[in-house]
Amino acid sequence: METPESNAQLLSDCAPYVKFAKLDEMLALGRANSLWPLTFGLACCAIEMMAAGASRFDISRFGAEVFRPSPRQADLMIVAGTVNKKMAAAVKTLYDQMPEPKWVIAMGNCAISGGPFVFPGQYAVVEGVDKLFPVDVFIPGCPPRPEALIEGLLKLEEKLTGKRRWPTVKPE
Amino acid sequence: MIAKDAILSNGGANETFVLNLGPQHPATHGVLRVKMTMDGEYIVRAEPVCGYIHRMQEKMGENRTYAQFLPNTSRIDYLSAMTYTHGFVGAVERALKLQVPPRAEYIRVITSEMNRISSHLVWWGAFLLDLGGFTPLLYAFDDREKILDLLESITGSRLTYSYFRIGGVYNDVDDQFLKGTREFVAQMRPRLKMYRALVTDNIILRKRLIDIGPISKEMCRKYGATGPVIRGSGVTYDVRRVEPYSVYSEFDFVIPTCEETDSMARYAVRMEEMVQSLRIIEQALDKLPAGPVMAEKVPRVLKLPAGDYCYATEAARGRFAVRIVSDGKEIPYRVKLRTPSLSNLSLFEEASAGMLLPDALALMGSLDLVIPDIDR
Amino acid sequence: MTTPNEPQPKVDSAPSASPPAVPAPTAVVPPKPVAATAPRPAAPAQPPPPPAPPAPNPLAHLPLPFKGVDYAAKGYHADATVSPDQVIAAAEVLDKEGLSLDTITGVDWMAEGQMEVVYDYFHPAKALRVVVRTRIPRDNPEIASIHKVFPGANWHERETHDFFGIRFLGHPNLTPFLLPEDADFHPLRKDYAP
Ligand code: SF4
Repeated sequence: METPESNAQLLSDCAPYVKFAKLDEMLALGRANSLWPLTFGLACCAIEMMAAGASRFDISRFGAEVFRPSPRQADLMIVAGTVNKKMAAAVKTLYDQMPEPKWVIAMGNCAISGGPFVFPGQYAVVEGVDKLFPVDVFIPGCPPRPEALIEGLLKLEEKLTGKRRWPTVKPE
Repeated sequence: MIAKDAILSNGGANETFVLNLGPQHPATHGVLRVKMTMDGEYIVRAEPVCGYIHRMQEKMGENRTYAQFLPNTSRIDYLSAMTYTHGFVGAVERALKLQVPPRAEYIRVITSEMNRISSHLVWWGAFLLDLGGFTPLLYAFDDREKILDLLESITGSRLTYSYFRIGGVYNDVDDQFLKGTREFVAQMRPRLKMYRALVTDNIILRKRLIDIGPISKEMCRKYGATGPVIRGSGVTYDVRRVEPYSVYSEFDFVIPTCEETDSMARYAVRMEEMVQSLRIIEQALDKLPAGPVMAEKVPRVLKLPAGDYCYATEAARGRFAVRIVSDGKEIPYRVKLRTPSLSNLSLFEEASAGMLLPDALALMGSLDLVIPDIDR
Repeated sequence: MTTPNEPQPKVDSAPSASPPAVPAPTAVVPPKPVAATAPRPAAPAQPPPPPAPPAPNPLAHLPLPFKGVDYAAKGYHADATVSPDQVIAAAEVLDKEGLSLDTITGVDWMAEGQMEVVYDYFHPAKALRVVVRTRIPRDNPEIASIHKVFPGANWHERETHDFFGIRFLGHPNLTPFLLPEDADFHPLRKDYAP
């Protein structure tokens, strides 16, 4: 009797003993080095996201320059800017439309917590996109510098592959 | 409402459908949504739907002090943050009758004009991206980074400066900045010539812009459009010239206008504005007086005398005006922000009727919208 | 052919370029701040010069109660307080003068039980900023829409309706503009509590 459930059960039963290590690692490596972000600018932070994609910072050095205008072709959502209550439903839809596996970077204080627009009695902004869907990497700043976005990408790569591709630079 | 006989006639001339553009769409520069009623490829009615990035800026003005509201002003139109901050501090200074030291005024002019160039460069790159050319964006951001380096060295920020303070500017410029700015002006002139050869004279661009999306003088006036939009329609309206603020009346510069009223006219006006901004920067650098950069005796607790105060500046997108209503307390009673993008976009519905969809997007790009500037 | 035809540099392009018509009288030169900062004709803070001559009224020829205002102190040239049923007439008159609508906004004077509606106009050719204001009762805020005169008023009125709940009678589409489609609150009212 083979049902999807029993298969899943079997897999999880033998997980301690059987590992599909090489394929998993290869897939993770491939994914980590060719993240396709969704073209999705919301506010000020989106300009820094554009700057990260343009001349000086050149995000394509890290394989993430293929900005896709359609969520169906993207596997990384960079939430760059403020999400307000009117927009929240659309953002959630976009997230749901992205195919698995997918990751989310919350760029900027607005995406992390509502940022400068939170005060007692506020009526418009969503206080953090993690209220809408899971977030993998948070990048603080208002706006974060393009270098910070690149560092966030490296962190995401680290999360996918388990090791860091580039050395960290210690501030002097 | 589709008439019954239109359905029966199997696709009559008045069969329309609704196309929803946005709020996530690469051509709407952020989160604008446009509900388009289409007849085939032609637009019957394009109704912008706003509010997807409303951030309560005006409400926030009512629950914090004048100094605390200052950072907000650089997040309304983040591409020309300097002029927006200028509008707000200008209104407060006007109410308090503060004398800003001349050096600070000159620094304000220099930084505002650099900010204007960087804003136009982003527009230029993004607009051409909309029209299908990717390479110009790389050139534009290359030059823009040079401006941001200079501004960052004195303001500490790349985008949201909050550099102007009530009574002056945050800190003085150093020799390195002045030298760097001179070098930048010298570098930028040939670059603008190159842009012309590379892009402006390109036949594809011209075919896509000339005679597309004409906006008449009268339409600009009825909708309150300002900035490069009204100047592209042949009206010499520029707040820097009509209601000269700061020290703008001391510089020799031309307000570029263009009689053609089409998208190409707006394009040409912006390109020429960058040249004029370079001229202003150069003159301001030559004339930069010595002295303090902060007015003496700026009160620590700012209380504006009751009444209302307006201040208008020429932002990269047009006329930005602040109205502060004060009731004599530390916190403003009401802060109204009049932003140019809202008025500029409001004529889109009328201007785009009957256009082809790709042409309407060229028109929209030539309006240079920043959506948080509309929604505030 | 695409180069913007350059309007003759500086002076003549905008009438009354540097010295805007109005603030002239403020040059009742301040005795205190000696020389130093010439460009700004701001009045001194200390002794309020008692016989401040009234600013000239640039719109004296209009049939509305316009008053001249000192531009340097306020940021506009003329100001009129009209009754609520005059706003359309005011818009028409200013339209004929060639002015353009700057913005429309509200101010909630809760203590007085009134809403103030403020119409800002600017002239696209000369230094002329005009404010028209009117007050309506706060518990029944209704006023005529001026979108027939200035179609640009459409969005400003929708925004003011969003923020203050002021109903603009005759408006073609008074639905939420910046707030969500189903919003039924008016956040800039002073008694708004979420
Ligand atoms: S975090 Fe700051 S820069 Fe980023 S969107 Fe929010 S306000 Fe703008």
